[in-house]
Amino acid sequence: MATEALTGQEPATEPPSRGRSYAARRRLAPLWLMTPGGVYLLVFLIIPMGILVYTSLQSGGAFSGRFYFDWDFANYTDQIVQYESQLIRSVTYSVIVTIACLLLAYPMTYWIAFYAGRWKSSILLLILLPFFVSFVIRTVQWRFLLADDGILFGPLKDLGLMSDSFHVLSTPYAVVAGITYNFLPFTALPLYVALDRIDRSLVEAAKDLYSSRWEAFRHVVWPLSLPGVFAAFLLTFVPATGDYVNAAILGGPGTTMIGNIIQAKFLSELNYPEAAALSVILMVAMLILATAYARVLGTEDDTLTATI
Amino acid sequence: MTEREDRERSDRLLQEAMRARLSRRSVLRGAGVGVAGISLASLLAACGEGDGGTGGNGDAQTGGAPADVFSGEPGDEVNFANWPLYLDQAKDKDGNVYHPTLKLFEEATGIHVNYEDVIQSNEEFFGKIQPQLAGGDSTGWDIIVITNGRQFNVLTTNEWVYRLDPAMRPNFDANATPFAKDPTYDPGNTFSMPWQGGFTGIGYDKTKVNGAITKLDDLANPAIVGTDSVGMLSSDMPDFVMINLGIDPATSGPAEWQEAADWLQMQRESGTVRQYYDQGYIDDFVAGNTPVSMAWSGDVIYYALWAGYTDFEFMFPEGGALLWQDNMMVPVGAGNAPGAAQVMDWYYDPKIATMVTEWVIYLSPVAGVQDRILEDADAALDDGYKGYSNKLRATAESPYSFPDDALLAQTKFGTNITNDEQAEEWDNIFLPITQQ
Repeated sequence: MATEALTGQEPATEPPSRGRSYAARRRLAPLWLMTPGGVYLLVFLIIPMGILVYTSLQSGGAFSGRFYFDWDFANYTDQIVQYESQLIRSVTYSVIVTIACLLLAYPMTYWIAFYAGRWKSSILLLILLPFFVSFVIRTVQWRFLLADDGILFGPLKDLGLMSDSFHVLSTPYAVVAGITYNFLPFTALPLYVALDRIDRSLVEAAKDLYSSRWEAFRHVVWPLSLPGVFAAFLLTFVPATGDYVNAAILGGPGTTMIGNIIQAKFLSELNYPEAAALSVILMVAMLILATAYARVLGTEDDTLTATI
Repeated sequence: MTEREDRERSDRLLQEAMRARLSRRSVLRGAGVGVAGISLASLLAACGEGDGGTGGNGDAQTGGAPADVFSGEPGDEVNFANWPLYLDQAKDKDGNVYHPTLKLFEEATGIHVNYEDVIQSNEEFFGKIQPQLAGGDSTGWDIIVITNGRQFNVLTTNEWVYRLDPAMRPNFDANATPFAKDPTYDPGNTFSMPWQGGFTGIGYDKTKVNGAITKLDDLANPAIVGTDSVGMLSSDMPDFVMINLGIDPATSGPAEWQEAADWLQMQRESGTVRQYYDQGYIDDFVAGNTPVSMAWSGDVIYYALWAGYTDFEFMFPEGGALLWQDNMMVPVGAGNAPGAAQVMDWYYDPKIATMVTEWVIYLSPVAGVQDRILEDADAALDDGYKGYSNKLRATAESPYSFPDDALLAQTKFGTNITNDEQAEEWDNIFLPITQQ
């Protein structure tokens, strides 16, 4: 059936209804095309999301052996009050990370898009190369690099350039730096797509009209790259806020992020409803922030879609 | 005996190489991967439970009698889930790694044991099997090993593990140490038999502290331990602090918990704490990032005695230390409970237990192991393996591997949380300290 609908070919045995049926099937074609993706989203996104919300309104505990559904909205109110500071910290870290990623990635991708020539693909691959190694393992490697007497700080301390007690691990700096490192490709790729698509003749035209290089960038390249910046911001900011691996591996006593709390609730406390409630809170908060951001700064451009 | 001699002579290097820089509790669990996998399972479990009624509360279990599943003939395979680096290993002529004690078991009984070191934390492993248990399905395991504590109690409270048959453990009755028998968290060993145990005390690098560390308060004194230098174990520290404040966790309640929390908050504000660890504390300790750390006895002893870190010291503060045991249990739905019972009792044969302890260096629940290790040390010396002999001797003479009554008297098991209200109260008191 599906193939018939797609190709519009009809079995010869039904000539009378051919006209109407053909039109109807044409209308149905997009639906058929959407089915695999739709089923996928239903099974792996919508249903789990429903279970998440359902769980978040349950009461009970591990010792009772079961949780039961009773519209327990206190799960939500309690969590917001109790973990306000971690929520704020997560968003703050994530904003710093996203800005740092943009500052790092923009010049880099600008250079690749405009000047790398035939090396473009190779250099892009170089940016992606570290990400062929597991996320967790890369983060753990940072512990070796940044160890108090490790290969980086050890020699500096021996030379007396740093005090013996100086350390970066277990501080917010390590966490923010770790997340920045891990999310850099999420910023770099959309930026690259946007910058690479800019028509070079526009820059030439600007120069013909006596703009300086800076003015050409300021008035031509930058505005045209904004959709990329927008996409990069979202793709970095949203997952970085929920990250907990960096805080767990590189952080210290005062760097707990909301992801760590959710992890502890799920695994140590076995308090699934509260963990689910916090997850929903984080998700809704991200949705609100992202929507507001899109309303204020968004464009009709499809860089985000193109990147994904 | 040839098995043991074989191992002593030819596999010492392998042994040490394989254990190098790892300890069973400090293997980093790859936080991201683990949790991503678990949360969905947990959610589905939670959902299923909501609908599923009584779940795994098997009706046959209510009376307190041993489960009748133990009475049948044992099957020919036992599935055994344990922690990494927690069982003796050796290499055969072809270079394949095997477990000598399990090989001997198979020769003696004809039962093959599928041994897998899949448990890297109580929380994570519990999260994996909870959905099956709650749904009344088999976990696929015949033996699991869980530390006394919250997950252990959830398993017993819900009767998600079988009541063991006391008639099937003659070795246990004859050889279990006093602390392994009838522990407070499982009276009469109704549900469990200890696999190995250990102490939570203090490990420190003698060259990196100002003066000796003797008491708990030293961990909150920057003049002695410095700032940002102390590693704390999140899950063990409430009990550890209570014991050192003179409180027996067994009789503690919210007021005592708050007392411990106040001490921990004071310590936090003193600026000495570098990090609160769930995993991987030993890596930071060995790297020198936390020259003073709450630590598990076997970890520090291994580095000090077997790996050449002679500046490392493991000690109990004046107030005492925390005792814990990892316990073998048979989850409900196990396909071969009689076989599991045989395996569990097998490890209470002192000869077998010695082979395990010489490899894992934790606290053995079996009496008579110490003398046998000393005998092996003499034998190794006669055979010309002086270094190996010295290490065995040092292990056998370590008070933390083979504690006397005076040392044991300084230790206590942790708080026994047995219901959701207690658990919530406990979490509300202690979690804010680590999660600020």
